[in-house]
Amino acid sequence: MRPLAEALRSRGVVVCVGPGGVGKTTLAAALALQGAALGRNSLVCTIDPARRLASALGLAELGNLARPISAAELRAADIRLAAPVEAMMLDMKQSWDELIARSAPPQQRDRILANRFYQSLSSALAGSQEYIALEKLWELHASGKHQLVVLDTPPTAHARDFLDAPARVIDFLGTDTAKWLLKPALRGAKLGFRLVGLGGNLISRTLSGIVGGQTLADLAAFLLAMSSLNDEFQERARAVSALLASEETVVVLVTGPAAERREEAVRFHQSLLEQHLNVAAVVVNQVHAGVGPEEAAASTRLPEPLRGKLERTISEANSLAQADAHGVRVLREAVAPTPLLTVPRFPGEVHDLGALWRAGAYLVADATPRETLAAAAAAPGA
Amino acid sequence: MTQLPRPRLLVITGKGGVGKSTVSAALALALARTGQRTLLCEVNSGGGATALLGYPRAGPELSRLDGELWSVDVRPAEAMREYVLSKIRFQRVYRTVFENPLVRAFLRFIPSLAETVMLGKVCWHLRETDGPRKRWDAVVLDAPATGHALTFLGVPQVLLDTLPPGTMAEEASWMRDMLVDPKVTGALVVALPEELPVLESMELAAGLRARHLALLAVVLNQATAPRFLPEEVKALAALPRLQALARGHAEEAERTQDAASRLGTLGAPVLELPRLYQGTMDQAAVAGLGATLLAGLEGRT
Repeated sequence: MRPLAEALRSRGVVVCVGPGGVGKTTLAAALALQGAALGRNSLVCTIDPARRLASALGLAELGNLARPISAAELRAADIRLAAPVEAMMLDMKQSWDELIARSAPPQQRDRILANRFYQSLSSALAGSQEYIALEKLWELHASGKHQLVVLDTPPTAHARDFLDAPARVIDFLGTDTAKWLLKPALRGAKLGFRLVGLGGNLISRTLSGIVGGQTLADLAAFLLAMSSLNDEFQERARAVSALLASEETVVVLVTGPAAERREEAVRFHQSLLEQHLNVAAVVVNQVHAGVGPEEAAASTRLPEPLRGKLERTISEANSLAQADAHGVRVLREAVAPTPLLTVPRFPGEVHDLGALWRAGAYLVADATPRETLAAAAAAPGA
Repeated sequence: MTQLPRPRLLVITGKGGVGKSTVSAALALALARTGQRTLLCEVNSGGGATALLGYPRAGPELSRLDGELWSVDVRPAEAMREYVLSKIRFQRVYRTVFENPLVRAFLRFIPSLAETVMLGKVCWHLRETDGPRKRWDAVVLDAPATGHALTFLGVPQVLLDTLPPGTMAEEASWMRDMLVDPKVTGALVVALPEELPVLESMELAAGLRARHLALLAVVLNQATAPRFLPEEVKALAALPRLQALARGHAEEAERTQDAASRLGTLGAPVLELPRLYQGTMDQAAVAGLGATLLAGLEGRT
């Protein structure tokens, strides 16, 4: 079973999710390369790539523009693709501005863009980064320019932050709540915040005491401007949700083998399933490889101090490999029947195209665990 | 005890996945073991740092772990409730107003309110007294990762810049004063000997400086000390797997040195924590890291 090769061949959208620091961006880029190798016109949309990774992908700066990965660079790395592959770096602020520019009536647009509540929106509203990434994904997918779009996502410790993003943003900007709250002010045709109908003065007095009366008035002005966003905005937000849940989309959960990451990954995986998302695979990145006894034996014939140094290094490598193998086994059981793939830890960092290509080979590999294969081979009649 | 002055609030931050929680837990444990009453303070993280010490995950209530070591996971809903009750003092009013679903929805619209009340609670712990003395000798804050940390720590200033005068602005003012006072607050930036974490640490240090927070030290986690000489690696040409192993180790050591020298330009000491070769951390391993850290920190002061 080669779950990710299958997904890259047949789906339109692959979303890489997971906690920070596990190599999600790198693997998203590696998946796009593999997609192109399988003949699909591919795009990877990255969030915050390491500078060297960005330059390997041919990206000099943020800017929402997809650029082809250089054919000469690919040739130099001896990578043969059956279709073109492009990369881009998402600019959160610009994406929000574009969204507002598209959805707000002209007379309200500048008022929104200049509002201080809007300016702190992307950092202040939980889920707004996740949302804008998904919104961009929808746009890229809908444009039809690429057969496969691989999306890297902001690091998210809690799956909820990611999954609820569209709903939260609809709630926030779709402004049903806001309209309701502001009804009296709207009816009175003046800006101001009066929570009439919510229990009267006690509530507005208390809120004013906590956040300041002027803040409430300013916020009301912002919400009023936002409530002018046209229906297109809400439709888009719903379309984003729908795309995420559709057959077109698979989610790849990327994690590491360490115990702290593992627990987080299991919870994350559970939430993805509860939301009925198609989880194509769990990928455990940076798994340490050990040193086999035969290879290790060769060190005993070497002179000191080299011999001692090697023995120490071998024992350290094997401790890490053992711990990781245990972690992978535990995780594999916890997420079953979702297939689990492992990508070894490469010496150094995976930042050039050659290294991305080597990592990608593990992503499109068979997900059947080796123990199972061995058992199947040993079983009578197999 | 000849304790030299050290800020009481130690803010631990860095890129995601570099070991902030480990460093926080290690430092808190080490401080508590020297007899200082220490609060390990997590920020809506689910209590993972406390769990690294082998205790149950921290919850929103203060809990005494052992001796002088306490922990808490500051969560927005509870922090909001505590904050509001400290302002209005009436449980009934709180329920009427803040447990109204529409008001709750509305409160989410106010940018940074969650951060403000959470940071407010952290700062409030710093002000707590126990008789004539401060209640806490040290508060170790396991802060969010880079971007979120800068947002989090910058909240008071942003509020001061954007809010009209009022209750929230007043709160923001004393919180900001605490954070920018190097006698009260010091930051430790955690990094790994890899490109992105080093780069992000440099940016983070600049961000902290821009917010006038004192950088106490940079912690280089998972450091590898040099072991193989270049000629030893070369001598292994006939044994490719072992040569790759030795070369890998030598490269790790080189990256460590490289990272240490780049981080050294930030004007704060770089404390190296050795890479540990074990799968799960136990309290003894964390305690070892903590002792190394504390020695490094005190070596400076």
